[in-house]
Parts: sequence; structure tokens; C-alpha cells
Amino acid sequence: MSNPILLEAVGVVKRYDKFAALAGVDLKVRAHTVHSVIGPNGAGKTTLFHMLTGTKTVSGGRIVFDGHDVTHEPDHRRVQRGMARSFQVTSLFLTLPVRENLRLAAQGTAPSHALNCWHAPVGARAKADAVASVLARLGLERHADTPAGNLSHGQQRRLEVGMALAARPKAIFLDEPTSGMGIDDLDEMKRLIQGLKDEHTVVLIEHNMNIVMDISDTVTVMQLGKVLAEGLPHEIRSDDRVRSAYLGNMITGGKA
Amino acid sequence: MNAMRKHFHLWLALAFVVAMPLTLRSGSLASEVLIFGLAAMGCNLLLGYTGLLSFGQGIFFGLGSYTIALTLTRWPLPMPLALAAAVGMGALGAALVGWIAIRQRGTYFVMLTLAFAQMFYFLAYSFPGLTGGDNGLLDIPRPSIAVAGHTLWPLVSPWQYYGFVAVVFLVTFWFLQKASNSIFGRTLLAVRDNEERAGAIGYNLKLLKLQAFVISGAVTGLAGALHAMMTGIAPLSSAEYHTSEMILVMTVIGGTGNLLASLLGSAFYVLLGDWLSTLWPRWLLLLGVVLIIVSLGMQRGLWGLGQTLWSLVRRKQPAAAAPPSVGEKA
Repeated sequence: MSNPILLEAVGVVKRYDKFAALAGVDLKVRAHTVHSVIGPNGAGKTTLFHMLTGTKTVSGGRIVFDGHDVTHEPDHRRVQRGMARSFQVTSLFLTLPVRENLRLAAQGTAPSHALNCWHAPVGARAKADAVASVLARLGLERHADTPAGNLSHGQQRRLEVGMALAARPKAIFLDEPTSGMGIDDLDEMKRLIQGLKDEHTVVLIEHNMNIVMDISDTVTVMQLGKVLAEGLPHEIRSDDRVRSAYLGNMITGGKA
Repeated sequence: MNAMRKHFHLWLALAFVVAMPLTLRSGSLASEVLIFGLAAMGCNLLLGYTGLLSFGQGIFFGLGSYTIALTLTRWPLPMPLALAAAVGMGALGAALVGWIAIRQRGTYFVMLTLAFAQMFYFLAYSFPGLTGGDNGLLDIPRPSIAVAGHTLWPLVSPWQYYGFVAVVFLVTFWFLQKASNSIFGRTLLAVRDNEERAGAIGYNLKLLKLQAFVISGAVTGLAGALHAMMTGIAPLSSAEYHTSEMILVMTVIGGTGNLLASLLGSAFYVLLGDWLSTLWPRWLLLLGVVLIIVSLGMQRGLWGLGQTLWSLVRRKQPAAAAPPSVGEKA
């Protein structure tokens, strides 16, 4: 794999009082790959995501994205650099229609336009192309005018991914996109994520090992706020430390 | 569809403005409805569109009152310029208060606006040289609108003044309506719905909230100035916390998230207050009851109630023989 490195984290530390949620994490994500972060609950995966996307501030370490040191930039600045994220707990504009959710997400890359209190978001300002292509990708065309709060759980999870897609980012951070999903929705989500690799770089937190092992180019295993192992899916599957950390069965179980 | 609805609301506002002289006897009362309608719309922009509960609206109202009083008496400016100065001061005050208050969310944000409101009151009280202290500023003139010595629009009688207020109101309403349908207004709705997500998709929440504050302050300052010109005084009470509270109550009773609702809230408060106060000096008690009802089970306010009734009436109409609906009874 010789793709250039898009995102690099060096010694990232996050402390809450005395508790170190992240105790120095190094991570290199290569462009146009799916890079999964796995690990038991409480390993610090979501905290790492918060650090990488700027949702919360680091206590130490450095984050470089696309050649820029973004360590101290707030989340909305990092969006301008080409980052976008989905949340573990669905986070949408529930009273607004699906189309409006995506329009807002697409608009977010030019946030200064949001101060325009004269023009309505119509015509060229409607971001119609970006919205339509994401709607098609999510398979939510028929629900474009439905308030996001009225969608089914599976649809909401897909829209959650769509919110990250609409900004046409370089890197997409997906935090457990399949959480709470039924079997039927899983395959659809898997296909959706797999299809993102051509245009984007995907950083994925996921508990479903079938999905992780099938679609990842690189897997990083975290434990207790540190990186335990990193490698190709098949290497991770046969790694003894990972097996013991995961009690074995979660990794080898199921179809994989 | 959207464009039609936008104009529909403007037409409704116009109809309201035209209807008041036909139904009310007092021009001052009618002016007051529109003036507090402006203030409530300013408040609504924060509460209904952005999700910010501000107890600081009285500051901007008071700033508008004091500014027009000073610019018409002590440092005489032509009236339109004085009005513009009041709008500017309202915006400036809101920018300062907002700049600090939006650093916090939820309860602490509310507390900050409350603290500013109290501070402003005592500030106004402590500088009688500028504000007239306890007495307020008196004898504010109401210059007619004139060009090169020719009086175009005398503002002497209450109804003449009402006409002027009505034009200012409609222009402001049109602008606020446009702003609330703009990219900005739509983004505010997103902030109201989910701040975390709005930040995560790239919006600078502080900047958006600050702009909402500035517009709200400008409109509220305008209302304060028009009120001072109407009554001829800029009293200390207009800088009081009670003014903030009154504006908030009107906004909530009318219903949030729709500008016309604020006009409804203002009309309800001012007209009902005027009527009840002649019957019973403790009428504010009844207002408390209304507020409790709205807070408990009618959170979309009078506007929401109207919408519900309207949809009931429309649904019942085809079946004319159907028993009288709730809507018809009300």
C-alpha cells in the first residue's frame, strides 16, 4: 500500500482530570483506504475520533491532516480542510427534512455563506447537485421531504453517514455506522462504506467484525487508550495479543 | 409554494396593520401593538429560530429609547437619522452582550443575559446626567417628516404617528421575513435543532449566534425608539428587567418560530392588558394563568392554536352536516 498519508496523529493524549482516556496514540491513515479502529468498549476509540475531528481538544500530541497541523483547530475549521464525521449516537436536524439536512451539510464547507441573510437557499445556492447525489447514494430519494425525525432507525443511520458525505470531504470519520441496525440494513451500509473509498478516505469505528474484516485496508486495535496492534485484516485476526484482548471469539466468530 | 407563503405572511401583516385603525379607538394603543410586535419579533429571532432564551431584550429596548431621546433633544439630529442611531445602538449593545453571553449555553447563557439586564438597569440609574436617572428623559419631540421645509407627513396626532409606525413595522417585517427564509435563517434553525451537529458540519456557531443577536438588538432598539417617540419619554422602567420579561412573555404567548406569531402575542398582551386593566388592576395575575396554559399544553402559542383550529375547520368543511367541531365553537 503506497498511498500517501492523509492523516497523521502523533502521541495524542486526552486526559479527563487524572484519567487518561488516550495515553499517547499514533496513527497514520493513508489516502483512499478504509482504516478501521477497533477495540473493546472503553478503549478510547470515540475519544480518538473526537480528537481527530476536533469535536474536543487534545491534552497533548499532534495531528496533521493533509499537510496542515490541525491540532488546535476547532471542528468547524477542520471541516474546511476536508474532514467530516458521523456520530455514534445519531445526530441529525430532526425537525428538518432530509433534503434540508443534506443541504446544510453541503453548505457547511462555505460557512461564511451562512451569514447571508438576504438570499434564500434556492437556485444555484440550493446545492442541488451535491444533495441529489448523496440522496441517490443513500437510497433516500423517496424520503427527501420527510423530516429526519420520522425516518426509521436504519434510514437515520444512513442519513448520518450522508451528513458526512454531503460536504464532499477528503476524509470521512464514521463512528459505529451500523450501531443498532437490523440484519437487513447491514449489507446496505457495508456496500455504502465500501463505495466511499474511491473518492474519499474512510476512518471507521465498528464493532461488527464481519464488516471490519471485509472492507478494511488497515485495522488498528486499541486497548486502554493505546494502540495494541495494527495491520492488514488477516494479520489482525491471527494476532495473539488481539485474540486475548478480545477473548478471541469476537474476532474469529461469525462468517469471518 | 415557499415564495407564496412568504408573501402570504406579509399580506397578513398588512391586513392586520390596516384592520387596527378600523377596530381600535386609540391610535396610541394600536401603535403600541406594532411597537411591541417589533420587539417580540426580535426576541423570536433568538428564541424561536436560534433557541436562545435572552433576558437581555430590555437592554436593547432601553438603549433605543435613550438614544432617540438624546439624539432628538440634546444633540439634535434629523429624525430618520436619530432613528437609525437608535437602531445602531441596539445592534451595538446586542453585539457586546451577545459576544460574551454566547460563550455559554443553556442555563448559564440565560443567567448571563439576566446579569447584563440587571447591570444595564443600574448603569442607567447611576448616570442621571445621561439618562435622567429615576425620572428618565422627558419631552422627547415627535418631529414631522419634512423635506426642505415642506412637511410631508405630520406625526402630531396618534393616528398620524400610527401610520408612520405601520410603515416602519411593515418594512422591518418584510426584512425579517426575508432574513428568516435566507440561508442565514435556515442555518439558525439547524443550530436550534442540534448545535453539536451544526458545529460538526462546519458552521461557526458563535458567529451565527452573534449575527442573530445583532439583528435582534437592532430591531429591539428600533422598537424602543418608536416607543419613546410615542410616549414622549424614555423612562428608567424601559431599561428595567420587567421590559425584558414582558417582551419574552409576548413572544412565548404568540408562539415561537414564526414572525407573525410575535405580532399576535404582542396584540394579545397589549390589547388584553389595556382592556383588563380598566376592569381589574391586578390583571397581570390572569396573564400568569395564560402563560401557565401556554407553557403546559400549548407550546406553539396562540399561533399554533390558530393553526390547529384552522386545519380543523378546513377538514370539517366538506362535511357541512357534521356536528360542530372544536374549531367552530372557539
